[in-house]
Amino acid sequence: MRRLAAVAATSFLAACTPPAPPPPPPTDPYDAKQMDLKPVPAKLTAERHKGAFAEGASLSLGAELKPLDPSPVKTVRLDTTHKIIEIAPGVKFSAWTFGGQVPGPTVRARVGDKIRFSMTNRSDEPVAAPAVTAAPMMHSMDFHAAMVSPQDKYRSIAPGQTIEFEFTLNYPGVFMYHCGTPMILEHIASGMYGAVIVEPRNGYPTKADREYVVIQSEFYAKPDREKRKVDGVPLYVLDGDNLRKAAPNYTVFNGTHNGMVKNPLAAKAGERVRLFVLNVGPSKTSSFHIVGTIFDRAWIDGNPDNQFRGMQTVLLGSSNSAIVEFMIPEEGSYIMVDHHFANASQGAIGLVSTATKPAANELEHHNMPASATPTEPDAVAGKLAFESKCLACHSVGEGRKLGPDLAGVTKRHSSAWLARWLKEPEKMLATDADAKALLKEYNNIPMPNQSLSDAEIRQYLKYFEWIDQQPAGAVKAQSGGH
Amino acid sequence: MRVAVAAAGLLLAFRAFACGYCVEDKIASTYDHAVVVGALERKHHIAFFHIDGSLPAGADARRTLERLAESAAGVDKASARVSVDTATLSFAFDPRRTSLDAAHKAVERKLAPRGLSLMPLRVMERAADLKTVAR
Repeated sequence: MRRLAAVAATSFLAACTPPAPPPPPPTDPYDAKQMDLKPVPAKLTAERHKGAFAEGASLSLGAELKPLDPSPVKTVRLDTTHKIIEIAPGVKFSAWTFGGQVPGPTVRARVGDKIRFSMTNRSDEPVAAPAVTAAPMMHSMDFHAAMVSPQDKYRSIAPGQTIEFEFTLNYPGVFMYHCGTPMILEHIASGMYGAVIVEPRNGYPTKADREYVVIQSEFYAKPDREKRKVDGVPLYVLDGDNLRKAAPNYTVFNGTHNGMVKNPLAAKAGERVRLFVLNVGPSKTSSFHIVGTIFDRAWIDGNPDNQFRGMQTVLLGSSNSAIVEFMIPEEGSYIMVDHHFANASQGAIGLVSTATKPAANELEHHNMPASATPTEPDAVAGKLAFESKCLACHSVGEGRKLGPDLAGVTKRHSSAWLARWLKEPEKMLATDADAKALLKEYNNIPMPNQSLSDAEIRQYLKYFEWIDQQPAGAVKAQSGGH
Repeated sequence: MRVAVAAAGLLLAFRAFACGYCVEDKIASTYDHAVVVGALERKHHIAFFHIDGSLPAGADARRTLERLAESAAGVDKASARVSVDTATLSFAFDPRRTSLDAAHKAVERKLAPRGLSLMPLRVMERAADLKTVAR
């Protein structure tokens, strides 16, 4: 009886115990109430910055990223300049920059950090080659990482003016920054862009051994109409016609044609590499791919909440980004490429390599410049076209392949013969004795018709003539095995 | 009725003047550093205006408008710049010979036969200082 009473009492007590409170709803990391959306008004002054064009502990100037600066307030200074940059061997381009470089320095911060930004328009300052830089003009700064009034913060400022404003980072991601002054297309195509990396408040969910930033962009360059020169080589300026047609002549990673083939990103076998990839365009998409590995994780726009696993390629529109992480499975050079191969052939190639210096054939792989390089614009264009389209079958100074070694070709044939050969090889093979002999010598593999324009043929010939003016053996070009 | 007209007028004024971003972009479209530096060295000022009205397209039409502006009293020769895309006109003038207001009216008289009028945006009286024009 006593036992029954105890059970009844226990049951009664249990019935009276209030139910456990429901678990709290999951907190939304993007809850607007947690965000700082009250930035202070921008300040405009006529006080100029002097000295370095870029300053701030959170800035990385190259592909290799510095660790996160722990300070919750990042002071960032990126002044605008006009300067000459080299976008490909012998191609000195009249650029407009943030921080004196293209791309501009990368800002690294995390959600909740405050960016305290200032910028002087120093486009009017004399630089090393003042006679050939573009005239000073108004510029501005548009941070995609910020949530602010563009009318207040992204104002265009005149040469000599300084703008200061601040904002808090509310979303993780890899964000573009760029000049927003009309014509925006011209300002971006002239080099005024960079990246802001915003880490999640609690960091990334994975651990990486190496971190690099890769920024893809296009250049639309043409030889200067006034034929001005820089350091003895022709000056290139913005080609407005091709810019509006979205027809670039260079598509590059980190500002340089094939730059990261010559200077690969270092990694070791077994390491996990994290790349922060941003396509700034301004007009082309990127199919970013790495030959020899798979993206274990791809975080679209650089936000781990937007995760894909096991990706071969990430598709990035203009101002889109991704963080990609992958393993280096074994010793080797892993080729970063825009899998729109028309873009790759314009220079959007790079290596992540376990070798400190890639082997010579690796350097020649995919369009690498030979040791000597022409500077005359037609010859430069011919060289780039040759390295993009012809190296599969021809070498320069490295012996015969499917077709002849082209070192000395202008001594073996006249310019007129070569021009006809490049224009309509099938007709030459039917009628010309030398062409027929070549076909026989090279196992009846015909030279394909590349549908070249007269201007392109002229560029090829200029390049071949330049090769044959160099000391014997000075120019070498041969593709790798890929 | 009067209130409605006043409100409409206010809205129109806002469309033209409220957006500082657009104002500075308009200024950027005609900003010519050589003109600015040359004018400031002579202690002249540079004024920027929104052009109201239907603008003709083409380089010749643009140059015609620039010449008309430069023919107005007090406006520096070869200093006028027009952007048809952003409907903006700028020119330099000698403040010892004419005031901004007088130069504005003189240029506007030249443009009036083409159905164009001007709204002042900013004036630069010294380097790196774009002053809002009191209206």
